[in-house]
Amino acid sequence: MRHPQRWAVGAALMAGLLAAAFALVGPARTETPDLTLTPDSEACTVIMVGKGASVDGSTMTTHTCDCGTCDWTWGHVPSADHKPGSVRKIWHINQYTTWPEGTKWQVAPAKGDTGFSIPEIAHTYAYHHGMFGYMNENQVAISESTIGTVRKLVNNTPSAKIDLTMLSLLGMERSKTARECIQVMGKLTETYGYGFNDNGEMFAVSDPNEVWIFEIMPVGPLWTPESGKPGAVWCAERVPDDNVSVCPNESRIGEIKLEDKDNFLASSNVVSCAVENKLYDPAAGKPFNWKLAYSPAQGSAVSTNGGRQRLWRFLAGCAPSLKLDPNTPDMDLPFSVKPDQKLSAQDVMNWTRDKSYGTIFDPVQGIRGGPFQNPNYYGRTRKISVANVEYTSLVQCRPGLPNEIGGIVWVAFGPQDTACYMPLYAGMNAVPKSFTVGDHFVFNRASARWASDYVDFHAQVIYNQAIKDVQKAQLEFEGGALQKIPEIDKQALDLYAKSPAKAREYLTKTVIDLNDKIVAGWWDLGDKLLVKYNHLGFYNSEKRTRERVNAYGGQWNKAVRMVDAWLEEDAVPGGPGGPPRR
Amino acid sequence: MKKAFVILLAVAAAASLAAGQTAPPKAMLPVLTTSAGQSNDVNALNIVLEEADIKYDYCDVPTPEMVAAGVGLGNKQSAEGFHVESTTDPAKFPKGTPFKAIMVAIGSSLKGMGASGLTIETEEARVKKVLEYCKKNKILVVAVHVGGEAGRGPAGSDNERMIDTVAPLADFIVVTTDSNKDGRFSKIAEKGKIPFQQIGYALGLVDIVKKMFN
Repeated sequence: MRHPQRWAVGAALMAGLLAAAFALVGPARTETPDLTLTPDSEACTVIMVGKGASVDGSTMTTHTCDCGTCDWTWGHVPSADHKPGSVRKIWHINQYTTWPEGTKWQVAPAKGDTGFSIPEIAHTYAYHHGMFGYMNENQVAISESTIGTVRKLVNNTPSAKIDLTMLSLLGMERSKTARECIQVMGKLTETYGYGFNDNGEMFAVSDPNEVWIFEIMPVGPLWTPESGKPGAVWCAERVPDDNVSVCPNESRIGEIKLEDKDNFLASSNVVSCAVENKLYDPAAGKPFNWKLAYSPAQGSAVSTNGGRQRLWRFLAGCAPSLKLDPNTPDMDLPFSVKPDQKLSAQDVMNWTRDKSYGTIFDPVQGIRGGPFQNPNYYGRTRKISVANVEYTSLVQCRPGLPNEIGGIVWVAFGPQDTACYMPLYAGMNAVPKSFTVGDHFVFNRASARWASDYVDFHAQVIYNQAIKDVQKAQLEFEGGALQKIPEIDKQALDLYAKSPAKAREYLTKTVIDLNDKIVAGWWDLGDKLLVKYNHLGFYNSEKRTRERVNAYGGQWNKAVRMVDAWLEEDAVPGGPGGPPRR
Repeated sequence: MKKAFVILLAVAAAASLAAGQTAPPKAMLPVLTTSAGQSNDVNALNIVLEEADIKYDYCDVPTPEMVAAGVGLGNKQSAEGFHVESTTDPAKFPKGTPFKAIMVAIGSSLKGMGASGLTIETEEARVKKVLEYCKKNKILVVAVHVGGEAGRGPAGSDNERMIDTVAPLADFIVVTTDSNKDGRFSKIAEKGKIPFQQIGYALGLVDIVKKMFN
């Protein structure tokens, strides 16, 4: 007997399931033909907080290093004095390349040796780096997001001597302030050419006083140093002190006021390059707009089905009072907003964990998250927190302290929702050994990243339950680390007054010990999750019992019943069902 | 001083001979540009042609059938991972006019191949078929490498496989100095008696294509 009503419901449900399955694979969106980046690009997000927008007066920026196959290792480069006539070798380091014979920083300098070098400066500063340079001993910090550019400006030829990774290292080595870092990077790329492995890119460049958005593009494959023209085009705009901003793989700088040197910096060709390449027509009577000329990302959060929702999500989430509309084209959303409430480091960490829950792009709405409401199944919404992140850095530049103590890089390996942020002070002489090892393709118990992955892997099984255990551990370990900071500051300051070198030694030992304990705690958490959720059960180690799983979301149970009803009419009644299926 | 200058000239001449620099062959329009390995280097090639004011058809992953369809590439439309563009002047070369030349930018990119749903094996097979069609139909094959040494990779790498697939079948090879630091291209040219030119920058290719298609 037919049940037309049930059939219709079932068909609608199946259509929904198919749509959900399609979303897992990834939507087929129309690519803007002449841009190098698509809306659903699985690239990085940068969050920025001005000193007047944070609860403790620090500036903060983050880099979610979203990739999936990249090298995640960190290192420390000490300061150095250089004799007159010394040279700085220039390497071409592809962001995405890894090697089986060693980590990126063991192999890339040799493999990427261009044979080209530039004059070295007398003294280079110490810094910590991951995929890019993140913070130097002067509290100059960098966070990165790829923004893409019009294809005709791409310069993948060797005339472009400086790529993005190299640029971040040079910025770290040669600057005392964010502003100087921008000028150094701008000058070097104008002189030696920018591109090769990279094209349209954004750096958040910060120090304890300022946060800048620095955006840079190559100038096309026909550039040569002999042309006398700049080998890059770049522009930087300062984020107002009491504002927050975000760069989700989209250019953020609009109209520019070059006469306002406090808030804008740019290469000499900032407008002329656009005119020469027919990207801006001064005769059209409209003011020059950087992002419209060089990286015009189309669409809104809604029109891209959540593919471009990060910009709206962060700005609207920090300033609900502005009632920002997700239908507003991203190009028309503000450069930055004043948050309704000032943000702490913990708030910013939580923002990097954002899955857009409760919004129209909620990844666990309905049955999108599967039986255990896992936000990683639904691929249509491009969330700030994605599963393919290598690590996230939160660089915190704190005023009123010596730079070695004021600067902290918080690092969380792997997906932020299941990871724990760990601090690295700017003044440390080394990073923990576990930060320097491991890759995606060989499990490694000595690697901090694998400790995170171990937790993440076991949290995926019964996500909606396991995440509560992870959050409890985050409160203990991450919250504990945040609480220890004032005491570490105090001890380091006392030592600093007597000997800055002793303070650095103290910071190095104390913080490495702290992070080693966190990494050990994360391995232990992974073990516990494995035991607890083994065989889709709840093993209670204290009571030595196995309890019944009842973690399915109510909507999932409803959906199962609806599909059962739909399939009922086609089922063959009775019968043994044949041999076991594999 | 004079003697030193003469020696310098002699060394320069010897270096030029060693590199086996030869004049580019004369080529005819219409021309198709494409990629072997799906790196972004084909973008540089297209910009070179635009700078030289030479109209072209472009497809990142053409099949022999599309090449056979001539100008307009059989009216194929761009889609995800598949790009087609025809700037060839229809007044001079109406749709369907057979191509007289194909310029192939060599450069392998896992990202690019992935976007087009290709592996190195399928890309290699595709490129071979296209070039075999071109040789059979006397379409001039120009192999271009502007990605430099870092765009080469070690022996057996995807890039090297693409070089082996394209360069020996080319009627003319043009590469940047950085791409030929180890003499890889000049050796292939010498062995196959293929006209060869080495340029400092991609910009150098503009004059070459102007001469070729003059």
